[in-house]
Amino acid sequence: MQCPIYVYPGYLLAWGLPRRGGLEPGTAAVGLAVGCPHPTYLILLSPQMAQRLALRQLLSLAPRTLPPQAPVARHSRAFSTSANCKSTFNVQDGSDFQDRVVNNPKPVVVDFHAQWCGPCKILGPRLEKMVAKQEGKVLMAKVDIDDHTDLAIEYEVSAVPTVLAMKNGDVVDKFVGIKDEDQLEAFLKKLIGA
Amino acid sequence: MATLWRRRERFLGVLGRLCRTVRALSGKNEYDLLVIGGGSGGLACAKEAAQFGRKVAVLDYVEPSPKGTKWGLGGTCVNVGCIPKKLMHQAALLGSALKDAQHYGWNIAQPVHHTWSVMAQAVQNHVKSLNWGHRVQLQDKKVKYFNMKGSFSDPHTIRGLTKAGKETIVTAENIVIATGGRPKYPMHIAGALEYGITSDDLFWLKESPGKTLVVGASYVSLECAGFLTGIGLDTTVMMRSIPLRGFDQQMASLVTEHMECYGTKFLKRCFPTKVEKLEGNRLQVTWKNTDLGTEETDCFDTVMWAVGRAPDVKTLNLDAVGVKTSSETGKIIVDASEATSVPHIYAIGDITEGRPELTPTAIAAGKLLARRLFGQSSELMDYDNVPTTVFTPLEYGCVGLSEEAAVQCYGSDNVEVYHAYYKPLEFTVAERDATQCYIKMVCLREREQRILGLHFIGPNAGEVIQGFALGIKCGATYPQLMKTVGIHPTCAEEITKLHITKRSGLDATVTGC
Repeated sequence: MQCPIYVYPGYLLAWGLPRRGGLEPGTAAVGLAVGCPHPTYLILLSPQMAQRLALRQLLSLAPRTLPPQAPVARHSRAFSTSANCKSTFNVQDGSDFQDRVVNNPKPVVVDFHAQWCGPCKILGPRLEKMVAKQEGKVLMAKVDIDDHTDLAIEYEVSAVPTVLAMKNGDVVDKFVGIKDEDQLEAFLKKLIGA
Repeated sequence: MATLWRRRERFLGVLGRLCRTVRALSGKNEYDLLVIGGGSGGLACAKEAAQFGRKVAVLDYVEPSPKGTKWGLGGTCVNVGCIPKKLMHQAALLGSALKDAQHYGWNIAQPVHHTWSVMAQAVQNHVKSLNWGHRVQLQDKKVKYFNMKGSFSDPHTIRGLTKAGKETIVTAENIVIATGGRPKYPMHIAGALEYGITSDDLFWLKESPGKTLVVGASYVSLECAGFLTGIGLDTTVMMRSIPLRGFDQQMASLVTEHMECYGTKFLKRCFPTKVEKLEGNRLQVTWKNTDLGTEETDCFDTVMWAVGRAPDVKTLNLDAVGVKTSSETGKIIVDASEATSVPHIYAIGDITEGRPELTPTAIAAGKLLARRLFGQSSELMDYDNVPTTVFTPLEYGCVGLSEEAAVQCYGSDNVEVYHAYYKPLEFTVAERDATQCYIKMVCLREREQRILGLHFIGPNAGEVIQGFALGIKCGATYPQLMKTVGIHPTCAEEITKLHITKRSGLDATVTGC
């Protein structure tokens, strides 16, 4: 899990969060920071707060807590307002796959990926985001093919990323390679609807 | 749920063992072919055999190096040999290209800097994708794969041991040993094992090796030292005697000469006596200079041993079945059909005595063996005129006999050597030194003037020599070569224009058009 990223309001603007409309300096929010592939938690700072913090870090002092009115996020689990962390999980082993994917009453998309695979690093977060948008109607299981080679071989994965759509233990759909958000949306909607 | 799963697995295990016992009792082996070793030779042999509809299995296991480095399926070439070596060599060449680029009009801030971790990550990622690719190929070709260390129980039975210590017995009609080799550590040098690394570790380092001493005069040593110099590291090669033993010695000295001009330091006729660790993780190496009779020391961040490779036979338990190995090298003795001293047991690749330690020869030998065993073929592997290339900063490619070997075989009166010093066109604008760019062709002097050997130092030597290897395989002669029109402007065309003999004593420097 990454450390909280302190950003100027200006940075958040670049990613589409409105300056007006209720975001006070010191508020915690979920968004995408510059250079960060995963949704992460951020603290919106006023320029003065940001300067103070930067100066502290420069002098290698432990960053003090922000003024009382600002909630501070801790360096632990992802603080998220969306259902992101619940709808996506990493498969631990064969039995875990049986339990949480094959025997899951809900449809599950299985993302077979690898550490060494460049396109996987693009597809993964994109798919996670689209799954989260479906508000719990579909779940996402991530399988690292080097950690779970037997599982990948069993499901005839050859190239990565390979994404399987599973319903009631059966593979009902699949694709290989990167897809854009619209294509992913259609893929997921088909799985939920079918 | 998990308990049910475990019970199911245990039941299947018992059932499997029962089936194997029944088969063994009935005299039928479980597999038609079992290959021990999932490297270049092993995988090629297994996949070829499976094409004939045979039941094939591969055992592959990587014992971690003393430093703890380990890797996946594919063998030495894929993981700690040819592939990462060539990629890092390319990284170094790109560094030189960036320096040349200025002369060609590019605005590149000098000096250029290299980040080891970026290169290493990219290379390691590619290697891991190849590991996976091999795994998928085995699955596609219906070859059973076991990640186990194999040892012989009897001529048709292998005991496989997983990392966790779980044992599996596998029986096969035919067994092919293709376990390859591992780098040697000079155990007589104090501190060698504890503080030194080998090529097994170099390609998997996450951090830059820094100031490096490479001990050895083999192509492993020179190639590694070459790319380390190329990416900007302070690199020294320590050699006890001659460089590239077994290769044409005139070419070998041109290679090392170029490396010296390129920036690699050489400690010639020196051998290390001890390695000690200093504060801050630096290593102090002490060595003897045999020419001066002195003892010297220096500090390095990394010491890499490239002093030879030992065959991986220790854990195979070959004594149990009587497979004969060479008393000198420890490698498995095979005949022209890759058969060992025990019927139905064969060996291919680096593990075999008297064969080149090359991926393409292992692959070819493996495929031909499978065809002879299961495909009614009788074709034997031809180990003559095997081309190869040393990927030092200035590459050296060759095919056929060295000048020394030709003279020894036919006598100097019966051998004609054509040679030329040339300058690659690309070096001119870049103002690069081409002193060591040299070509030599060894021919028979008698009527036909058959070409016995071709040696080329220059950029892309491997690409150049590959085509000529076909000609030499077909018995090309000097007159035929002279009739071959060159492609212009290339370095390779200089081969078709060779006309100055060593015997004439004339200056062999040729100019372009």
